[in-house]
Amino acid sequence: MTDTPIFRPTRRSVLGAGLAALAAPALLTLPRDAAAQTVSDIKSKGKLVVGIQGDNAPWGFLNSQGVQEGFDADVAKLFGKQLGVPVEFMATAVANRIPALVTGRVDILFATMGMYPDRAKAIQFSKPYAANDIILVAAKGTAIATPADMKNFTIGVARSSAQDTAVTKVAPEGTTIRRFDDDAATIQALLSGQVQAVGANQFYPLRLNKSQPGAYERKLDFVRQYNGAGTRLGQKEWNEAVNAFIDTIKANGELAKIYQTWMGFTPPEFPTTLEGVPFTVG
Amino acid sequence: MGTTFGLGELGFLIQGLKWTVLLAAIAFVGGGIGGLGVALARTSTSRALRRITGGYIAVFQGTPLLMQLFVIYYGLGLIGLTLPAWVAVAIAFTLHASAFLGEIWRGSIEALPKGQFEAAKALGLHYVPRMRDVILPQALRIALPATIGFLVQLIKGTSLAAIVGFIELARAGQIVSNQTYEPLLVFSVVGAIYFALCWPLSLYGMRVESRIARAAAR
Amino acid sequence: MGYTLDFTVVLDALPSLLWGCLGTIGLALSGMTLALAVGVGGVVARGSSRRWLRSIVIAFVELVRNTPFLVQIFFLFFALPNVGLTLNPTVTAIIALGLNGGAYAIEIIRGGVQSIDKGQIEAGLALGLHKGQVFRMIVLKPALRAIYPSLTGQFIMLTLTSSICSAISAYELTSVAQRIESETFRSFEVYFTITLMYLAISWLLMTGFSVFSRRYFDYPTR
Repeated sequence: MTDTPIFRPTRRSVLGAGLAALAAPALLTLPRDAAAQTVSDIKSKGKLVVGIQGDNAPWGFLNSQGVQEGFDADVAKLFGKQLGVPVEFMATAVANRIPALVTGRVDILFATMGMYPDRAKAIQFSKPYAANDIILVAAKGTAIATPADMKNFTIGVARSSAQDTAVTKVAPEGTTIRRFDDDAATIQALLSGQVQAVGANQFYPLRLNKSQPGAYERKLDFVRQYNGAGTRLGQKEWNEAVNAFIDTIKANGELAKIYQTWMGFTPPEFPTTLEGVPFTVG
Repeated sequence: MGTTFGLGELGFLIQGLKWTVLLAAIAFVGGGIGGLGVALARTSTSRALRRITGGYIAVFQGTPLLMQLFVIYYGLGLIGLTLPAWVAVAIAFTLHASAFLGEIWRGSIEALPKGQFEAAKALGLHYVPRMRDVILPQALRIALPATIGFLVQLIKGTSLAAIVGFIELARAGQIVSNQTYEPLLVFSVVGAIYFALCWPLSLYGMRVESRIARAAAR
Repeated sequence: MGYTLDFTVVLDALPSLLWGCLGTIGLALSGMTLALAVGVGGVVARGSSRRWLRSIVIAFVELVRNTPFLVQIFFLFFALPNVGLTLNPTVTAIIALGLNGGAYAIEIIRGGVQSIDKGQIEAGLALGLHKGQVFRMIVLKPALRAIYPSLTGQFIMLTLTSSICSAISAYELTSVAQRIESETFRSFEVYFTITLMYLAISWLLMTGFSVFSRRYFDYPTR
């Protein structure tokens, strides 16, 4: 049994360890003001750590050489350039974006973060810098015309993505929703037939139809979401710096250039307020 | 997007493999050092030391590696240690490996005949030379098959680092599969790479095991 | 404002977490049962006189033991539909756990059977015991007793491994936790809590195993 490490913890030691571990949170109440971040913190650190998606083309993805690319990557690099520091990307799974930010793993999220009130309670959004349509995609023959039809199929979504929120809200009671760790796994589930439809963004059909031309189509439109950059709550100066940057690239045409590169069209009108999502530290 | 599986994609997998090997190596070396400490504490005369390390082992052997990664990865951030992702992951794997290797080596230290300890004491050897020159060399030799077995587990376990966004072999495979739409091919290749890495180790472990068994039978 | 731990969200979600625990236990027990069947069947096939059958078992064991469970379960879930075999996540998870645990069980059980002294079997027959009695009392029971700690240890590992099944959206504790985390964004609190729950499940299983062991294997060895 070379492969079987000796594994015989006694029951008593497991019990003791469990009780000791229960006491641990008491030692762990840590109001952490050290994380109050400013532009000068970033400059003295010498780099900007950006949380981004690694598998969601064209928003944020790794190319075959393992280099981070995409719409979000270009916006983040522009921000780094303005701050005068290099950008370090950290590809985070959809479900790990907010945890990565609030636990201090990254300085900022440019991670296709749809601006929703529930998320705004956990992180501070900037002004919107992109729009994204959240839709339902399925193979052409799939009989889905209204949200009620979803009940007859198995729907896949990336766990805790905007698609997850939209599908969970709209799908009738009793719909089978399967949640995967990220976009890659979700798309794989649709391609392999494990699910019949997926909650998607506007680019999924494009990507899917590259593998099987004309096989998949947009079935339902849920919402148009706006994406913002995310910072930790309460970091006023940092949030203002991000907003100033977004205003600048909107005004000087840089954002439009990036839009053209990755999406092939011009940026839409952005709203000045969103219900329940403040753009600035109140 | 929409590429076919070619040399570029294979190169991407090899990039991931580098991280897999590196992570496993760090965890094995770190776990080796930590494990030695744990094994010595577990076999020491101090009851407190035995208790504490016993609890430590119980926690790491009684919970999924996946959870250990999550808790340590996010927990380190929370106590204000903003380490690079790979360092946080390496710490988690090192703690995991220390517990398992410590337990394996404790077992082999205790499996040595009592006479070895008594003889070493009778020769007037103090704790450090007694352990270093008499007990540990023998104990580690008996433990070699199980140690190699655990190394294989560790290499396979690094696939879980994918979940905290770390792009090692398994995660690289998923990304490539998503670009090429050929999961069958890609997962076969990924599986084959792991196999090529682990199998020689397993074979070596089996050989050592039968050699020890033969030596014992003589 | 810093990050302050807040476990109230976990308390609110306790019922669904406990259901998740049941999901994990169910997955683990089904996986173990299948693993035991694969293990016993594998040992029989491994001892067969047909060489191809032995080779298949050896190849299976080596393949499973030298590749990660995550890759195995992805292969079963995402790749097998390509050849027309689409199984739902929970069934896939049980099969994956059963095959994985089975490969280890084959090696463990084989070691146990080999440890039986041939002389004992002859002695049993000489004492006038039936073949069935010899098998039950002299081969099976001592062999089971010899491998019991390794086998149950492996089964607890299998239970912990089941957390990986969340990757294919199977219903178990980790996937429930991830769902709660994505609603509350309290990742550390949620994962810390379910780590304790896994510890409790391990403890429960260990207790069960040791009670069983004391019932059935409690006889003097010498």
